[in-house]
Amino acid sequence: MGVIQFKDVGKIFGPRDKGFVALKDIDLEIRDKEFMAIVGPSGCGKTTCLRMVAGFEDATDGVVSVDGTPIKRPGPDRAVVFQQFALFPWKSVYDNIDLGLRNLNVSSSERSKRIEAILNLMNLTQYAKHFPHQLSGGMQQRVAIARAYVLDPDVLLMDEPFGALDAQTRVVMQEELVRLARKNPRTVLFITHAVEEAVYLADRVAIMTRAPGQIKEVLDVASVRNAENWDSHEKIEDVMDLESFVHLRTHIWRSLREEKAAQHA
Amino acid sequence: MPRRISIGLATILVVCFLWLMATTVLGLIPSGRFPSPAETWSALVHVSGRGYGGGDLALHVYNSLRLVVMGFLFAIATGVPLGLLMGWSRRAEAFINPIFLIIRPIPPLAWIPLAILWLGLGDAAKIMVIWFSAFVPSVINTFAGVRNIDRPVLEAAYMLGMPKFRFVTEVLIPGASPMIFTGLRLSLQASWTTLVAAELVGAFYGIGRVLNVAQQDLYPGMILVGMVTVAILGWGTTRVLGLAEARALRWNTAALAAKG
Repeated sequence: MGVIQFKDVGKIFGPRDKGFVALKDIDLEIRDKEFMAIVGPSGCGKTTCLRMVAGFEDATDGVVSVDGTPIKRPGPDRAVVFQQFALFPWKSVYDNIDLGLRNLNVSSSERSKRIEAILNLMNLTQYAKHFPHQLSGGMQQRVAIARAYVLDPDVLLMDEPFGALDAQTRVVMQEELVRLARKNPRTVLFITHAVEEAVYLADRVAIMTRAPGQIKEVLDVASVRNAENWDSHEKIEDVMDLESFVHLRTHIWRSLREEKAAQHA
Repeated sequence: MPRRISIGLATILVVCFLWLMATTVLGLIPSGRFPSPAETWSALVHVSGRGYGGGDLALHVYNSLRLVVMGFLFAIATGVPLGLLMGWSRRAEAFINPIFLIIRPIPPLAWIPLAILWLGLGDAAKIMVIWFSAFVPSVINTFAGVRNIDRPVLEAAYMLGMPKFRFVTEVLIPGASPMIFTGLRLSLQASWTTLVAAELVGAFYGIGRVLNVAQQDLYPGMILVGMVTVAILGWGTTRVLGLAEARALRWNTAALAAKG
């Protein structure tokens, strides 16, 4: 299972009365095995939402829970993929992926089986003995995704994972993530400011307001995807050409532009 | 032979030639001020064979090296863990830092009189002084090394549910290791400086002892032999540390090279 729930969640950085109000009254439920993307203007607190599920930040008000249990601290049941990869530079690709499994006391035969499978799935087999710095950014993020996926977590948290990659690599990674997520569904919370990416990857997209961040709207992409059969198209650009895709994208753009305009007003 | 090494050797040869010219050939420097190559050589033969200042060269070298290694190891065995603790725990830092602020400005050499008063002229006093001087750089650099670890890397470790001991050995120590080694190098330098000073003040054996006796005997050749011996020992021990560092930090040197 992996149901993420935000209940009346607020976050204030600094003292309660005069601190910075980052989030206000967040109510959101991410269903089991659902891919939820959160988009919003920069500084709206979307990353803070993810960090609260990860256990890196406490909620000032309300409760963030997974399967009904309020979150106290970080743990391997909620694997995180960071924007800056955050691999251990002193460990090989293999050892980076292995570390979490060792912490879970998985037997060594089981570990090598799972690591080989994920290396294979992510096209990393020939790089197993490399150190992270010997790989390109896209490759490093692949390792970070493998490190998270190999734990078989209930919940996968991705904080702008492709934000640091160049445009071409980004597209390849998006296609691969779709492949991975359809084959091996997880509850995913995906933070991004790239609208296309959110529509392409997610089952639902939550749009946030500017700070103090609130959920403005939640769009159901999955029903459109299934009705229009997006998954029959292999390439991202073919999906992006579809009228139904363009329609959703434009809707989100408008919504975000309103926020941007209000910010400057 | 690589170009760099041949140029370096040529430089040394030129310096030796100028030394020979200035002392023996042209007599620009009187031998009471600075020894000629021949005088230095005879001093070396003297201390290696008959011995000087209480023992032969091997005995002096052995004693100095032994004390430096012991003091240094003692310092890093205490300093690195303390630095890790301070880097990891803000509370430990809050407790320990004030002591450091008081002790740090005291030059290590200023501890020598107190050390001799407490422990006499033997090995214990010297190890204590070396420990004091080498301790501070290892603590401070280890501390800074821990604080320099990228925050997301630490968060990744928390996310992976690291047991405490493994977190220290596989994340904190390797993450801080580039700076830990900087601290070790500074500690090693401090160890040699302090040892020679401590031996100058009072010792039965050691390179500092040789220097001290040679000064009283107005024996410039022997003084130079002592100085060069310390230089070679310092260079050698630094080199050993450098090899250990290159081994331990293979990932880092390559990472720095990759960044350009």
